[in-house]
Amino acid sequence: MTAWLYHLNALVLGLFILTAIAMVVTRQISACLQVFILQSLLLAASAFLLGGSPWSWHLFALGCVTIASKAILIPWILRSMIPAEVYVRRELSQSVQVPAALVAAFGLLLVGYALGIPLNAAAHSLSPANVSLGIAGLLIGLLLLVVRREAVPQILGILGMENGAFLAGIAIAPDFPLIAELAIAFDVPVLAFIVAVLARAVYQKTGSTEVGSLSALRELI
Amino acid sequence: MGLAIGRSGMIAPTTATPPVGACYVSRSYMIESAALNLCQLAFVLGVSPLLAGILQKSKELVQSKRGPGILQPYRDLRKLFAKDEAVSEQSSWILVVTPYVIFVVPLIVTLLIPVLTDFPLFFAFVGDMLAVGFILAMSGFFFSLAAIDAGNPYGPMGASRTRMVGFLVEPVIIIVLFTVSFVADSTIPYIVQQHWLRPPANFFSASHILLIIAFFMVILAETGRIPVDNSSGHFELAMIDESKALEFSGSSLALVKWGGYMKFTVLAIVLVNVLTTPWGLASLGTIPSMLLASALVFAKLLTVLVLIVIVESSFSKLRLFRITDFVGAAFIVSVTAMVTELLGQ
Amino acid sequence: MVIMAWLILALPVVAALVLAAPRSERIGAKVTIACAVVSFALSIAVMLSVQGGGRLVLVPHWFEIDPLSALLLLLVTFVSSTAAIYSSGSIGKSQGTVRTRLYYANFNLFVFSMLSIPLIIELGLVWIAVELTTLLSVLLVSFAGTGEALEAAWKYMLLTLIGATTAVLGVLILFWALQSAGSADFTWSGLRDAAHGMPAILVRIAFVLILVGYGTKVGLVPLHAWLPDAHSQAPSPVCALLSGVETTVVLYVLLRLRGVFLDVPSTHVQTWFAVSGLLSVGVAVLLILQTQDFKRMFAFSTVEHMGIVLTAASFATPLGDAAAVWQILAHAVTKSFCFYAAGSTLLVTGTRSIAEVSGLIGKSKRASAALLLGALAISGAPPFAVFLSELAILRAGLLSGHYVVIGLLATFIAMGFFGVLFHVVNMTCGRPKVDHLPRLPLPLACSVTLAIAAVPVVLLGVWIPPSLLRLLLQAAAVSGG
Repeated sequence: MTAWLYHLNALVLGLFILTAIAMVVTRQISACLQVFILQSLLLAASAFLLGGSPWSWHLFALGCVTIASKAILIPWILRSMIPAEVYVRRELSQSVQVPAALVAAFGLLLVGYALGIPLNAAAHSLSPANVSLGIAGLLIGLLLLVVRREAVPQILGILGMENGAFLAGIAIAPDFPLIAELAIAFDVPVLAFIVAVLARAVYQKTGSTEVGSLSALRELI
Repeated sequence: MGLAIGRSGMIAPTTATPPVGACYVSRSYMIESAALNLCQLAFVLGVSPLLAGILQKSKELVQSKRGPGILQPYRDLRKLFAKDEAVSEQSSWILVVTPYVIFVVPLIVTLLIPVLTDFPLFFAFVGDMLAVGFILAMSGFFFSLAAIDAGNPYGPMGASRTRMVGFLVEPVIIIVLFTVSFVADSTIPYIVQQHWLRPPANFFSASHILLIIAFFMVILAETGRIPVDNSSGHFELAMIDESKALEFSGSSLALVKWGGYMKFTVLAIVLVNVLTTPWGLASLGTIPSMLLASALVFAKLLTVLVLIVIVESSFSKLRLFRITDFVGAAFIVSVTAMVTELLGQ
Repeated sequence: MVIMAWLILALPVVAALVLAAPRSERIGAKVTIACAVVSFALSIAVMLSVQGGGRLVLVPHWFEIDPLSALLLLLVTFVSSTAAIYSSGSIGKSQGTVRTRLYYANFNLFVFSMLSIPLIIELGLVWIAVELTTLLSVLLVSFAGTGEALEAAWKYMLLTLIGATTAVLGVLILFWALQSAGSADFTWSGLRDAAHGMPAILVRIAFVLILVGYGTKVGLVPLHAWLPDAHSQAPSPVCALLSGVETTVVLYVLLRLRGVFLDVPSTHVQTWFAVSGLLSVGVAVLLILQTQDFKRMFAFSTVEHMGIVLTAASFATPLGDAAAVWQILAHAVTKSFCFYAAGSTLLVTGTRSIAEVSGLIGKSKRASAALLLGALAISGAPPFAVFLSELAILRAGLLSGHYVVIGLLATFIAMGFFGVLFHVVNMTCGRPKVDHLPRLPLPLACSVTLAIAAVPVVLLGVWIPPSLLRLLLQAAAVSGG
């Protein structure tokens, strides 16, 4: 039974890294949000599978909390606080074109493996693939932040980074004391709320949420 | 002779071993094998227009129209075979030969891939998956030549676009094939299918699902489905895949259409039988098991059709220069599958 | 004593809750000031109880106060008191009443999050607290509501959240290493005890991730891009809090973890700390020379001082640790004073540009006197505290043989001295610009704040209270080992 859970987890991981790359590629903001919800659900699925046997209450709670906060609460906060017309927009200008961003995402996947393989060799974890792909997911979230100019994809980039970090975390530290559940349950919705407030303020001030083009503050260097 | 690419990277020829269930190369084995091959050819020939008809009808139903009947492609083919042909005087032998090439190529491929049986048949080791890819490319090559040969202004336009999509898709196909062969230690489709089958644990890996998704995107690109091309459009300036059929008429057109249906069927069979769901194929050569296998393979192909209908109804056609983004994404997915497979161990 | 410690933490929360009630605008400032001052008094009491090296255990394995954390509690409560008094003078005149209430509520919650970090000893909870400080200060930074303030707040939030997420991966890997060593005690001391058994590669990667992640919040170069924007656009009392104590508190976390990483030689902690410290000091000093906005100048000075502390920590000697802790104390009180002076200048002249403020001494004696005093103090002129602490750092480095580091550090400090004073002297004593703007009077609360904040700046350069000195030495001992 344990072997089947790990194999299903491998499938889930493949889809997870696919969603990470898909978030970089999609141009529509609402599509980006939907892919993020899918990514969070996959993270929860991985937590449920890894906590299946031997049974771990922590991982089960982590999965439930992830679904509640990242798949339900955060999209609700983002959709209700930021005006709807922002979501139907398509990002026409990106600082890096899609094919180049795809190649960069692939390069970051390799970096994730480059970091993950020596780590897995040094210590035991529930699922070595989680570690490598989690680090890769974190780096690809960082790429999303760098490539996009709109506010919502940047927020989703940060949350995607956290998804990647926690994907690695559930395999590394399944009994991490209470903290992970507390963090997600409390911290991330607060984060989303404050960020949404700020994005709405930017929207009301400048008429668009293209925060990447705000460049009034600059040094000569 | 097939090629076996092992993990050490050495390429060595394998000997054609007789399949499970027959331990000697004998005359009865040859007759049985030939009969099974004919069954597979008949299956592909017969089922492909039906699949095209079901796909068209489902798309129309989703759009709240009534659509043509499921058997309409058969009626179209029968009508076309009875008609006269009009061939341009300025064209050369290529225009005459191409319909036959297009018709025969998928049939050759059928001999190489597991359609109904999961044990290798007579021609199984004649060519591996790379050969499948190249043979299919040959038909595309002849298509482009014929389109230019006819002198129709829209032909070369569509041909150049088809070539563009073709060369963009080729690296994806090669990477998918290489990854699969790394996994299964062989490039022969039958052996790959066996590898996914037993033990079942081989089926589940992160790279597997990425390969399936990458190959599905390849099918969408190669067979001219949305989001790459609108298969039910009539506007010549926007045609990519449909432009090839513009110059043909009569029985040539019938052969070209049928060849197109069979190409789609063959690619779908590769996706379904070799990559995704290797179960349900006949292990014995008896008639009941072959009938059961036909029904199961048909059901699996219907699932692929459902997926394609969902994709076609949900997305819109991409602009020409965005096709690179789409196929680039397929490439990255396949490369990710390769990396996950190689580095994940 | 335990009750007092809990009260320190609880008071800002109480103030925030009071402000949640409607129609509480008028008492907002008073409640905040009252809570902050009482917290300060309580933290003095706590400090007196641990100055001898003792340890106050609130919740075993989760909340403890030792001399280093008592020092930080003292600094945070002091700066928050002065910031509260300053806020009552500068906020509220131009903003509406609801926004003022939101400001004070946010202020209190921000102070609460900063107070909690020195109290916690469990690394996971510390991470949550650090992330909370970011989240609760973002809206304060954007309080002015201008396009530039929003841009600064967005950049601040984005970059520090990237840092926090990188740090969480580092924390998780460190926990993994702890588990591999067979322990589950994820506290400062637990980590130190288990450091020998941890796999080196895990600790190395965790160290780099934590340095990059928390270094973003501290403002180390090249992750400092958010700092000048945020610290120049935020209201001045918020700047004082951000520059004076928030970066310091995160640096405190790095210093606590230094001991763990020192035990695993392959992480090269000292080299990393020295290089990033020197890089921060050097780049900050160069940026000070070319800046055109005096609040940004003070922000760069924060980066410089964080780099100096990190360089001092890289020596890993008792004298170096003592000097680093002393520098933290001196910087906190001096930098907050500088920002009050800068804020007063802003209130009086209405502009942030250095070129436009000239001959300030003619316009407002108090603001220009404060500005001069602050600039002299922060750039390390005698007889102020920063001079003594920097001298101690240089001495520590020479005694432990890091000659190249000291040479570079001394050069950079001298350049910084020159840069800051050049700008400030131009601002205060340059030829007065002829303008017809009315002379805006400095609000009384701001003047009071300047007077109160000037006391430690002037005093600590010549005399340290014995209990404070004892506390400093004990804190250095704690951070050292």
